[in-house]
Amino acid sequence: MTGNRPPAAEVDKEILLELYRRMVLTRRAEQTHQDMLNRQEFYLMGHFGTGQEAIGVGMGMALDLTDYLFPTHRGVAEFIGKGMSQADIWAEYMCKPAGPARGKGGLHLSDYKSGLPGLVGSLGSDFAISVGTALSSKIRRSGQVTICSFGEGTSSQSDLGSSLNAAALWNLPLVFAMANNEWCEFGSSSEHVCTPTVAPRAEGYGIPWTIVDGQDVAKVYSVTRGVVNAVRAGAGPHFIEYKTYRGGPHFSGEPGAYMCEEDLCKWRERDPIGLCELRLLDDGIATRADLDRVNEEAQAEVQAAIDRARSLPDVTYEEMLSGVYAADYAGEVE
Amino acid sequence: MAEMPYGAAINRAMAEEMGRDERVVILGEDVRAGFFGATSGLVQVYGPDRVVNTPIWESGIAGMALGMAITGLRPVAEIMFADFFYLAMEEIGNQIASWQYVTGGQTTVPLVIRTAAGAGFAIGYNHSQCNEASFLNPPGLTIVAPSDAYDACGLLKSAIRSDDPVLFYEHKGLYGVPGEVPDEEYLVPLGKARVVREGTDVTILAILAMVPRALAAAEALAAEGISAEVIDPRTILPLDEETLLGSVAKTGRLVTVEEGRKRGGVGSEIAATVVEKAFGSLKAPIVRVAPPNIPVPPGPVAENMYVPSVEAIVKAAKGLL
Repeated sequence: MTGNRPPAAEVDKEILLELYRRMVLTRRAEQTHQDMLNRQEFYLMGHFGTGQEAIGVGMGMALDLTDYLFPTHRGVAEFIGKGMSQADIWAEYMCKPAGPARGKGGLHLSDYKSGLPGLVGSLGSDFAISVGTALSSKIRRSGQVTICSFGEGTSSQSDLGSSLNAAALWNLPLVFAMANNEWCEFGSSSEHVCTPTVAPRAEGYGIPWTIVDGQDVAKVYSVTRGVVNAVRAGAGPHFIEYKTYRGGPHFSGEPGAYMCEEDLCKWRERDPIGLCELRLLDDGIATRADLDRVNEEAQAEVQAAIDRARSLPDVTYEEMLSGVYAADYAGEVE
Repeated sequence: MAEMPYGAAINRAMAEEMGRDERVVILGEDVRAGFFGATSGLVQVYGPDRVVNTPIWESGIAGMALGMAITGLRPVAEIMFADFFYLAMEEIGNQIASWQYVTGGQTTVPLVIRTAAGAGFAIGYNHSQCNEASFLNPPGLTIVAPSDAYDACGLLKSAIRSDDPVLFYEHKGLYGVPGEVPDEEYLVPLGKARVVREGTDVTILAILAMVPRALAAAEALAAEGISAEVIDPRTILPLDEETLLGSVAKTGRLVTVEEGRKRGGVGSEIAATVVEKAFGSLKAPIVRVAPPNIPVPPGPVAENMYVPSVEAIVKAAKGLL
């Protein structure tokens, strides 16, 4: 791995700029979240995706608004990539009834208007749900594609194999999108996963697979977009593995002392935002001043959303009890 | 009015709802053939897109049903044996139950999971349980358990039209039992109990295949001059407390009868409810008639001893007087 510019993937200037903007927005949102935790101003632990922003942003933007994306728990890149607003993310993170899930999802973000059906907390249970949304799209002939995003740690959940089988069996419009960041919770992947790559396992199910450099946002976007287009056209499921590296601890409440500083430094040279900046500057798509402005605007957008969310009313006891059933089952929840 | 077996009534409910609403889709293992006959013949009418044979993957059947329900379909999934629900526990207990709440109502979860519960084939612990009590604790579920053909058809139609996730327990010992069913379309509302037999001395609340046994027990008690009221809650969750508490206010005595194990059973929850809300009405302790806390034993000899008998119900009721 070096700091050299990656070979350029074919992507429009405007799209590359937007990919960059959303990666910066993701980084700013997660860094601001960490800062609030450091100041003990916020309750919610973070599972940040520093250094992995290209993957979620690239796959989110590779989908249409009406497609479905089941995200991972790591960071907000997929949500921002798919189009969820900062206002909605922070209202939900702060559990305010003004959030898209009326503050009842909290960290389990969902945004139906953006094609984000929900983040599950028990990792791997969305494999089957993703097969269900893809099967539903096929039955309804709606042309929608589902991406089920997960990490190599979650690949050990047994439902992955069952889902690959069902997706292949029914030729479903489903993309298995796995970020391999070399860490599973508090341990190295080598302690969790028996092979350095997981994607080739798809071959056993007759599913084509691709391994992509997850640090190159243009490549993530263009490869995923190509796969999504083929899947939408009826090619059947596909497995994409994005090679990346977790740039910090498993979650905000621990220092990640088990991680190797040398490896972290090496990977920071391939930071997806830095690599994208190099390309934008080298190709004359943006100036340093343009990039500075993107960063300033992103920070302002995050801060405005946080300030707004803080000012919103909290959930009431009655609101907390409501919404368990669609039917009017009076008294059932108390 | 025509006589129709319980299993055929369930089939009729699905056929009618599929004809009424093209969003209704069936999925499960071998549902095109229909292991107990409940889904047989539907694929010929509604086609393979709407009657989907799945791989042997219970967590998938439940999880897929959730994915379908939140994207515009109304799936009726089948878990072939209730015992296999435990293979799908994550999807049912963690996801399906909570999904509507945690998405703040951006979506409803209009799905039904049908299953065949109960003893009768003497095939032991993984194909014989009544485990509906296992789902009393997760929030957001509706649990339905019909005991005859009329209720089976009418309740399943209501379950399919419900916007909430419904676990629909069928008893495999009842599939062949005929019952009177109207020729015209009808619904039985969810959350409403049925007073199967009126009485004044003791209330016997029974579920699924225990309802006919409770009725037989009531006959035997009547011969001894004891008037038993038999209630079938039909919907276990939410429970029709009004009917139950009204009956207990009248009789002052309650026996619960179920085929699921006693500890943490449906009867336990009902007993707690009655003690909390109608303690003053009680003239005697509440008695739970239920199997012992053991795996369902194999073989007809042990299975017969495991499942509550008519005699056990009679004895329990007489003990309160």
